[in-house]
Amino acid sequence: MHRPKTWLVSEVRPCSPERGRVAGVNFNPLTIMKTIRQLTAGLALIALVAGCASRGVKNPSGVPVTRMNADEQGFVAGTGVESQDLVAVTDKMARSILGIQAIATAAAPPIIVLDPVENKTRFPINKDIFLTRIRTELIKKAGGRVTFLARDRMAVLEKERNLKREGAVTAASNPQAQEFAGADYFLTGTLEGMSTRTAAGTSDYILYTFQLINARTSAIVWEDNAEIKKQGLEDAAYR
Amino acid sequence: MEPHTNQTGVVINPVRPRPPTATGRPGKPAHGRCCGVRVATGGCALLGAVLLVAGCATPPAAKVALTGDLLVDGPNLIAHGPARDQVLWQYRTAVAALRRGQFEVARPLLDAALARLQGVYGPDSEARKSRGLFQRESRKTFIGEPYERSMAYVYRGIIYWRDGELDNARACFRSAMFEDGDAENQAYQGDWVLPDYLDGLATVKLGGDGSAALQRARAHARNVLLPDYQPRANVLCLVEYGPGPQKYRAGTYGEELRFRTRRSEVFSATLKTGAIRQFVAPCDDLNFQATTRGGRVMDHVLANKAVFKHTTGAAGDAALFGGLATAALSRDRTVQGVGLGVALAGLLAKGFSSATTPEADIRQWDNLPQFISFASLQLPPGSQVLTVEFNNGAGAPLPSLTKTINVNVRADRDTVVFVSDSSTTPENQ
Repeated sequence: MHRPKTWLVSEVRPCSPERGRVAGVNFNPLTIMKTIRQLTAGLALIALVAGCASRGVKNPSGVPVTRMNADEQGFVAGTGVESQDLVAVTDKMARSILGIQAIATAAAPPIIVLDPVENKTRFPINKDIFLTRIRTELIKKAGGRVTFLARDRMAVLEKERNLKREGAVTAASNPQAQEFAGADYFLTGTLEGMSTRTAAGTSDYILYTFQLINARTSAIVWEDNAEIKKQGLEDAAYR
Repeated sequence: MEPHTNQTGVVINPVRPRPPTATGRPGKPAHGRCCGVRVATGGCALLGAVLLVAGCATPPAAKVALTGDLLVDGPNLIAHGPARDQVLWQYRTAVAALRRGQFEVARPLLDAALARLQGVYGPDSEARKSRGLFQRESRKTFIGEPYERSMAYVYRGIIYWRDGELDNARACFRSAMFEDGDAENQAYQGDWVLPDYLDGLATVKLGGDGSAALQRARAHARNVLLPDYQPRANVLCLVEYGPGPQKYRAGTYGEELRFRTRRSEVFSATLKTGAIRQFVAPCDDLNFQATTRGGRVMDHVLANKAVFKHTTGAAGDAALFGGLATAALSRDRTVQGVGLGVALAGLLAKGFSSATTPEADIRQWDNLPQFISFASLQLPPGSQVLTVEFNNGAGAPLPSLTKTINVNVRADRDTVVFVSDSSTTPENQ
């Protein structure tokens, strides 16, 4: 019996002469077996993929600590107040304050007291952090042109002064003298927000406004603002 | 060649090499010699079965011994339980702590939960997978439905107020309203009463104008008359009672998220201190908030999954039975082979159907109340005893639920009292 060198899929080679032709259509058992084998292989592949996916855990080995600059957006982000906003806003405010006449041309370094900012946004924040960073930026960059009072430490300072007055500890100057300084200016600010939520996502706009107020006259001697808008949309699984 | 056993103990039959053809390449098996095909097919089937079983095996759940005390189990599960449920346990534990007057325990838990909530934007691989045909919705990190998220903000706002940070408290109440901002029906968007009312009160106490928030709160109030703000009131009482909404699955495949309203035996409360008697009607009903949210985007995803499951299941049934019937009825081996092939395809389709998971995620913040309400009092600084009675539908107190709170009224800022019908008693706040 003649046997071809190679078997072609299209070639009909019935198992026996009487089989392989049904209603005018040729069926090859090997082709059928091949189909079954392919289906089985497909099933195995799907099971493999499904098996791997069902056991999958995001970043199973964790994500190594990534050191980032405070002024850059990390891979974890929301639409609220974040470190890069804090840095951008306080840098701008510190530069702006140093340029005003009341500071630049003052005969003696003006004395400034920080008054906590008021948060009118929908994001609970650490309010002190804004003024703390503005203060440190001003102290770093002003070269002694401004003085800040540590009013938030008054309880400790008064206790120390009383110890000096009682003679319990030494004093470099007359402890009876009133040396706690008064403020020339108050530095304060307000955070205001506008938020929108639709099917397209969430949008948050925050206006950061800071003021320097003359403590004697209540005049606003300086005011500046910064504005940041953010938008985002969560995965459909959360909508 | 003799059969041998591999390292896993599975007996492997040696595969015979195919006879070379005239071209020198291994040839296809000759007609009537389907041994190689059988081996290959059998091997594939075995591999498929093994992988299928391996794929279906769920990862071993982290075993955390439960004591029944949420303040013990909660932190344990937050630390050692599935990461996707962390926020859920933070929510539950925080409320349990509040009901025992342990505000310092609740504070960091809510902060952590809200930090996760606020960072939910953008791609999230687990959330993406939970939308997949073969992954459950509950695979995603739990952050809760809008009413649950709103309540997280309300509780955090109460703690901020208690700490004297009125503007941050107000921020939380605003976020609570914001979470409710995308209800399907516009009439139910941002329709909470208490967060708006407290937003306005905080604004008034900060020296601003809270009338707009008061107006909004009154517009949404049902069956409760909201009083004008009393800026000099220095004791603020947040009262909650009744069982919160319960999630359950509906639909042929459990693809629909529904809420069951449980009947509350408490309908109001009465605050008593000295000669003061103050009736506290419910401001917000969480069942109402849960059931008026409307459809979710995820509901469409789950509905599509259900359609896929149904279609592949039906097609699989038809192919399986049709193929088997063909194979059984025919006396022709070829037709029988075709029938078996169709049946196998049907089996495959059934496998797809079976693997599809349209079930809705019903993880829930299960210790939420049904009603939340508020009352303000003006009391002299110092130690005060506050009695809170919870009343049934007829207005009669339920003695077993009465709470006694020893309140230290502060002179320098507002004193915030939190009372639940499941609070411990007596309690110092």
